[in-house]
Amino acid sequence: MTLHHYLILAAVLFCVGLMGAFTRRNAIVVLFSVEIMLNAANLNFIAFWRYSENPALLHGPLFTLFAIAVAAAEVAVGLALVIAVYRHFKTVDLEAMDTLREE
Amino acid sequence: MSEQIAFWMLSAIAVLGALVAVRKRNLIHGVFALMIFFAALSVLFLLLLAEFIAAVQILVYIGAVGILLLFAIMLTERVTGDDDRRMTSRGWFWGFAVAAAVFVILLLPVIQQLPSPEAAQTIDPSVKELGHKLMNPYVVTLEVLALLLTAALIGAVTAAQGVRMPKEEDSQE
Repeated sequence: MTLHHYLILAAVLFCVGLMGAFTRRNAIVVLFSVEIMLNAANLNFIAFWRYSENPALLHGPLFTLFAIAVAAAEVAVGLALVIAVYRHFKTVDLEAMDTLREE
Repeated sequence: MSEQIAFWMLSAIAVLGALVAVRKRNLIHGVFALMIFFAALSVLFLLLLAEFIAAVQILVYIGAVGILLLFAIMLTERVTGDDDRRMTSRGWFWGFAVAAAVFVILLLPVIQQLPSPEAAQTIDPSVKELGHKLMNPYVVTLEVLALLLTAALIGAVTAAQGVRMPKEEDSQE
């Protein structure tokens, strides 16, 4: 296994997440997609760390740890916002949330 | 050899799980596919010798984020989400196009055949060392992160609680 295998896998996963975030209308599925993209980035961090000159510095796992914590905070706030928006609009359809759009 | 078999199987599971999670109409099935994706990624971290991150991945993503997503789905829309209406957004074509373009850009280093560095054979990523690192050079980051998590928790509770408006009382059945 070379570094390229992991980079290609992370690129595929990132683009699957990007595709979901751009093409789905459901706000919760967009949150799934963001999680997939964050995980792809974490995979990149760990792969680069594994193939780095000096893995004993543990930069990869430390940064991934911080990224996971920030992602957990993000998903908690994101879901709270989805629930708040649902209470207001009675839907989680992103295309129904166009109050700010100028007609 | 066994590492290669494991890598290819896990990659297939991860990509399929992500695709199903993103394309499935039924959101509950989507969350379970997402959990399979998280599990496959956790084993990939094990393959890369990051065993603590693998454990954290299972704890945080499958244990917390997955369950949180399930709760959010059950609190909001019908489980099937956007049933009979169309599933994709307006301008979905541009979404696909941009995703494909980003994929090509991300693959440029491979297309250009940059040399791949060798993996370190002996690696000792002990949890003890990780803890020392968190306490010695990265303690400020850790504290900021703790603050961020607290703020996010309070913010999430406040946002989900909502403001009590007089209009809201009328619309409740």
